[in-house]
Amino acid sequence: MTQSVIPNIKKLMLSVIIMFSFSSISFNAQAQLNVVTTTAMIADLAKNIGGSKVKVTALMGTGVDPHLYKATQGDLRKLTKADIIFFNGLHLEGKMQDIFEKLARKKTVVPVGGKIEHSHLLQHGKHPDPHIWFDLSLWHKAGQRVLETLQQKDPVHKTLYQNNANKYLSEMDAVDAWIKQETLKIPEAQRILITAHDAFGYFGKAYGIKVMGLQGISTAAEFGLQDIKRLKDVIVKNNIKAVFVESSVSPRFIESLVAGVTAEGHQLKIGGELYSDAMGPDGTPTDNYFGMVKHNVNTIVKALKN
Amino acid sequence: MLTQGFFADFGMNDIWILATASLVAASTAMIGVFLILRRQALIGDAISHSVLLGIVLAFLITDSRSLPVMLGGAVIIGLLTAWLSDTLHRVGKLQSDASIGIIFTLFFALGVILVSLYAGQIDLDQECVLYGEIAFVPFDTIYLGGLENGVEMGPRAFWGIGVVFLIVLVSIVVGFKRLETISFHPNLAVSLGINVVFWHYFLMTLVSMTTVASFDAVGAILVVALLVIPASSAYLLAKSLKAMLFIAVAYSQASVIIGYSVAYQLDSSISASIAVSAGILLFATIILLQINKKRQTYQIPCLIFIVKHQSYILDQRVYHSSE
Repeated sequence: MTQSVIPNIKKLMLSVIIMFSFSSISFNAQAQLNVVTTTAMIADLAKNIGGSKVKVTALMGTGVDPHLYKATQGDLRKLTKADIIFFNGLHLEGKMQDIFEKLARKKTVVPVGGKIEHSHLLQHGKHPDPHIWFDLSLWHKAGQRVLETLQQKDPVHKTLYQNNANKYLSEMDAVDAWIKQETLKIPEAQRILITAHDAFGYFGKAYGIKVMGLQGISTAAEFGLQDIKRLKDVIVKNNIKAVFVESSVSPRFIESLVAGVTAEGHQLKIGGELYSDAMGPDGTPTDNYFGMVKHNVNTIVKALKN
Repeated sequence: MLTQGFFADFGMNDIWILATASLVAASTAMIGVFLILRRQALIGDAISHSVLLGIVLAFLITDSRSLPVMLGGAVIIGLLTAWLSDTLHRVGKLQSDASIGIIFTLFFALGVILVSLYAGQIDLDQECVLYGEIAFVPFDTIYLGGLENGVEMGPRAFWGIGVVFLIVLVSIVVGFKRLETISFHPNLAVSLGINVVFWHYFLMTLVSMTTVASFDAVGAILVVALLVIPASSAYLLAKSLKAMLFIAVAYSQASVIIGYSVAYQLDSSISASIAVSAGILLFATIILLQINKKRQTYQIPCLIFIVKHQSYILDQRVYHSSE
């Protein structure tokens, strides 16, 4: 039986390879610029600034944690056909960043967080925190990178992009101001945000909230007993009313923290679910960047206010 | 199975991916044959976990997450995992699966402790800094003669795994007789004066090198699957080591081609689709073998009847002729 199987497989392989080699490459002329982004947050920037002149696809769908993203066969084709690729940079995409940097020699590949001055970045040793979209003034800079790139690539529609960007980025400034107003509603001693992992560093820095995480940035890091004790002490001392779970991180760590604190006779509840590394599902109010940011701010303020 | 769209879309990128996957599959299938025979099939899975320690140590020493540093750390810990679990098995007299389990959980746990102690704020895990994504293989190219104006030579992963494939192939061809004796008759090997210890470590070095290079090229799940499944399929069919090697490679190549077409059709992960295809081929083989066995067992009572009947007839003839 084995002797007859081997030549058959060889023949099959040979014929498949021959069939493959007759393949052709398809060309399709497009009026729109084909823009591919890594995260949905960057896709939102490109959609709003590019308007009708761009077709935007995000590799990581809404609800996908960038740490857990797995490429599909179709992602290869999306990248091959892209006119412009935007990625976050600052090592958010991990090893994919090396690939983007190499691809930049052949295509327009732009890290939207790449030109932000080092003084604005939160550093852990030599390594910057990549979650820049939680500080709207930093994300404004990311939007400008998108605008510059679109204008360079498609100078014909320069003013259109400029107008779109003016509109979108001024709305971003307005939301930025709104967040600053909202966070003032929380009593000063209770401006402490406790979540599952340290994604909200920029949010805290920009809006005057102390951020404490149970877990480090890496999903491989597990919290120690000291971390739980440290958080418990802070909660009791400052009379913190709520902690938060994140859409892309398992809630069980935070749930165990709440159980631990309430067992000691203190009041602590889960204030709600925050969107950290990914946005909400399509068709919901949180499926876009502003919606996601506003949801987070409303959830935090409502739970910590009184 | 192959639609019009597949032909229209097919290009150089797909050829690079198929070529890289094919080399990974052939290397891991050949190595897998020896691992199956030595009952160390899950060493690949073990190395996929223990490399965390290598990555963390390399990062803590150099404060860099660049690929050469990460690969260096992973190779060293991969070697240690393979060597130490083999040593534990032979010197400590523990079973080979238990030895693998002890070493890799120890290394992985040490890695987790080091991450929480020193690198909790930094995104540092094997998924992020070491494991490759096969869909992006064509974009990660190397240049001969400088980055700026050198000649593009094709994907880095293809050449990396190509070198590994050649080393594995040459090692097996050159050391075939010895590896065969050690795998099937370890006691005979000792009395024949073969340096058994050397070949054990040599094999474990090949395992570690192949798995780490393949992790970098195509990610962990595919490597772990291809180390175990094609060699297991071959184990069911083959009657000699040579046949087992050939059949394992054939199964691995079939898995790559079927898996890639499936990934195209479903727009799914390429590595996962290839791994699933390898599994389906294995189950199909088992079912075919069972059907074959059934058919033979039904034939036996019939044969016995005929044999009996014939002897009866013969008896009758003898009886009649003597009369």
